[in-house]
Amino acid sequence: MSRGAAGRAAIIGIGATEFSKDSGRTPMELAVESCEAALADAGLPAEKVDGMVTFSAEQNLEIEIARNLRIPALRHFSMVPHGGGAACGTIGQAAAAVHAGSADYVLCYRAFNERSWHRFGSGVQGRHGGAESFDISFSWTSPFGLLTPASWVAMFATRYMHQYGATSEDFGRVAVADRRHAANNPAAFFHEQPITLADHQESRWIVEPLRLLDCCQESDGGQALLVTTVERARDLAPTPAVIAAAAQGATDDQQAMRSYYRDNIAAIPEMGLCARQLWEATGLGPDDIQVANIYDHFTPLVLPQLEEFGFCRRGEAADFLRDGNIELGGRLPINTNGGQLGEAYIHGMNGIAEAVRQIRGTSVNQVDGVEHALVTAGTSVPTSALILGQDS
Amino acid sequence: MADSDTPLGGRPGSAGVNPGEEKAEFLAALCAQVGATGKPWTARDPVSEPVIRAWCDAMADGNPLYTSPDRAAAGPYGGIVAPPAMLQVWTMVGLHLGGPPERAVEDTPSAGVYQLLDDAGFVGVVATNATYSYDRLLRPGHLLTGTQTLAEVSEEKSTGLGVGHFVTTETLYTDQDGNRVGSMTLRILKFRPGTGRQGPEDDTAEERPVRPRPATNRSTDWFWDGCRAGQLRIQACDDCGHLQHPPAVRCLSCGGADLGHTIASGRGTLYSWAVPHYPQAPAFDYPLVVGLVELEEGVRLVSNVTGVRPDQLNVEMPLELHWLDTDDDTTLHQFRPAAPRRRDSTLAAGELEVGHRLPLSPVPIDTLLIVSTALATRDFQDVHHDPDAARAKGTPDIFMNILTSCGIVSRWIGDWAGPDVGWQSIDLRLGAPNHPGDTMTLSGSVTAVKSADGHDLVTVGFEGANSLGTHVSGTAELVFGDLPGGEA
Ligand SMILES: [Zn+2]
Repeated sequence: MSRGAAGRAAIIGIGATEFSKDSGRTPMELAVESCEAALADAGLPAEKVDGMVTFSAEQNLEIEIARNLRIPALRHFSMVPHGGGAACGTIGQAAAAVHAGSADYVLCYRAFNERSWHRFGSGVQGRHGGAESFDISFSWTSPFGLLTPASWVAMFATRYMHQYGATSEDFGRVAVADRRHAANNPAAFFHEQPITLADHQESRWIVEPLRLLDCCQESDGGQALLVTTVERARDLAPTPAVIAAAAQGATDDQQAMRSYYRDNIAAIPEMGLCARQLWEATGLGPDDIQVANIYDHFTPLVLPQLEEFGFCRRGEAADFLRDGNIELGGRLPINTNGGQLGEAYIHGMNGIAEAVRQIRGTSVNQVDGVEHALVTAGTSVPTSALILGQDS
Repeated sequence: MADSDTPLGGRPGSAGVNPGEEKAEFLAALCAQVGATGKPWTARDPVSEPVIRAWCDAMADGNPLYTSPDRAAAGPYGGIVAPPAMLQVWTMVGLHLGGPPERAVEDTPSAGVYQLLDDAGFVGVVATNATYSYDRLLRPGHLLTGTQTLAEVSEEKSTGLGVGHFVTTETLYTDQDGNRVGSMTLRILKFRPGTGRQGPEDDTAEERPVRPRPATNRSTDWFWDGCRAGQLRIQACDDCGHLQHPPAVRCLSCGGADLGHTIASGRGTLYSWAVPHYPQAPAFDYPLVVGLVELEEGVRLVSNVTGVRPDQLNVEMPLELHWLDTDDDTTLHQFRPAAPRRRDSTLAAGELEVGHRLPLSPVPIDTLLIVSTALATRDFQDVHHDPDAARAKGTPDIFMNILTSCGIVSRWIGDWAGPDVGWQSIDLRLGAPNHPGDTMTLSGSVTAVKSADGHDLVTVGFEGANSLGTHVSGTAELVFGDLPGGEA
């Protein structure tokens, strides 16, 4: 997103399907339903929509959704690559588009049956053979049995533990916080199902050092968000969640999920790049953030994200977690919807919707006096992040 | 004595529940000679340097006190000594003019028991436990005599290998002057092939799918060609010398387009690791150890780490390269714990504490090792060199003999302790067999230290694990510092 767009666009509608393990519907039905819900939330007729942004991983083409919603004309459509790393990038690109005038109302969406259809966690077992760069990239890991997202991330987790003395229990504290927050959230798959640290420690290995309860869910569901300019947003009923800034990042020797070859793999430099852009564009700092949705496909990578944004010093996130800072009432409550471990794994888009609710004051785990909410997108891939703020 | 704690998973046999008169009679016959002591059996040849050298070559034991006259002369014993682990070797019957020599039942009471068991179909044989105690050092010229006592024959037991009987013998060794030099307690299992829990080989097992093959193109095929040629190639910039992995089409340091490769030494350290448990792809064995290896040339690559259990992984542990053929035209680089170096100077008394860990040592098992060590220990049992005979006796392939398990464990402990270490005893318990193609990784730690009069009596607990489980475990008692009682 260009710096000029900072603070000039807002999220004015949010809509989701229920989150489940078996939706009983096609992903296209989920996509259309969630877009309809976002438009209903905003009170905007579909024919006003003229832009759509989604993930390059999305299987529901924007033209098919537009056909179903009877959107007559799309002036801006784009896709953001790299899986869950795209989440905040879609909002950033929508904000840039409405600020630049290439569209007035942009729907950002993601919908899938990644539990009941193709299971996301199953990874790339069958992939080999092609000669394109993307196929080649798997040759350095797949023959050795690193085939799943959990296995790719485990390599970072082990090094982080070695370098900074974090433990499996520290990772567990993220899961416990997520599930505690989810327990209050009727929309969460794990509503009223909190866990203890002991539950975490007793859960089986998926890929050492990751346990089952370190891994996010695989979910069926859809989430859509409607972006427009702040001025247009003011004409609609909901409280605008101003996009104070959004940023994308890819850095040195970047690989998809497997940036194993750079100097320090216990850090997330692409998230650090996002953080610097957000602080520069807004003039804000860590002390100005009251609540955050920190991408939690696997708990270990929550820790270095807290460090990249300066909520604690490098290598000290485990101490930050031990002090209870990420729970309700703590310094920085995170994932107040339950996160992707507790609510649902919609590739980070449901986390952005929760940040909108925190700005509106309508979260089931509402934090007092929220001026700014931070959201991060998928880690270990080129990523993105954003800050939402109140309309002044 | 119950054998329910045997490493082969023995449990009280059904014989106890419904013995049957026939079984009772058979057991009585087996036990008839228990307590009997055979005639002393004197070795044909004295302890000699060539036989020591052949043993050291097969075991890869480089202790100069065993083979280097000059170093040995300058050492604590003033000359060549035999490895203590060879104690049993000298009186092994071996071959005489092409066949095993006749030994009368009254010479070795166990021979009669074995014959009865063979005749009853208990033709399978494995050693399960051995305890050696060493009283005197052996030097070239010593002529040993062994005297065997039949200590025990068990009732029928069900074990993982099959239904059988354990036979325990005790052998006392003396030198030509009648001095006691050591003793051995040996327990072997004679079992009926095909009655084990694994049962006969399963021919219906589906053929295992191959691992995902690397995708290649002209920018990377040189890497995989190198693997097939046994070379771990790293992309190198012709202009600035920068090394990089995974390969790219430009130098990531200077931007140069002229890229070649260098060949890595194969030495590195573990930078990070992951152990997938779930989901399991059928091409792999789980738990699977995947390492991020930092080569000594400074680049990292993902590889499997073999010969190590997940709980033995340590970031920064030294690793060494080996290769795995995964299909007809794919060879993958693999790493395993680097073989530890032999210590030249012996650890001193006071240097060791309980909990001190010995370095991991992977021992690749192949036919050459099993056969050459069987010969070097003068063990001509067919199960150690003849695959068909081994299969007929209920095991899938030839397997390592217990004298070699003892020899390899002793070599590894000696390499860690240093050449002058004194040996008091070693106690071994055998489990999963070492078959060709497997790797046994030795691990261990100091479990007790007793200090007295300038020496430490140190107990080492050890384990050698292969893909089937624990091959060997046990303890060794070592002396560091001034040897008690001076030169034996
Ligand atoms: Zn260069």
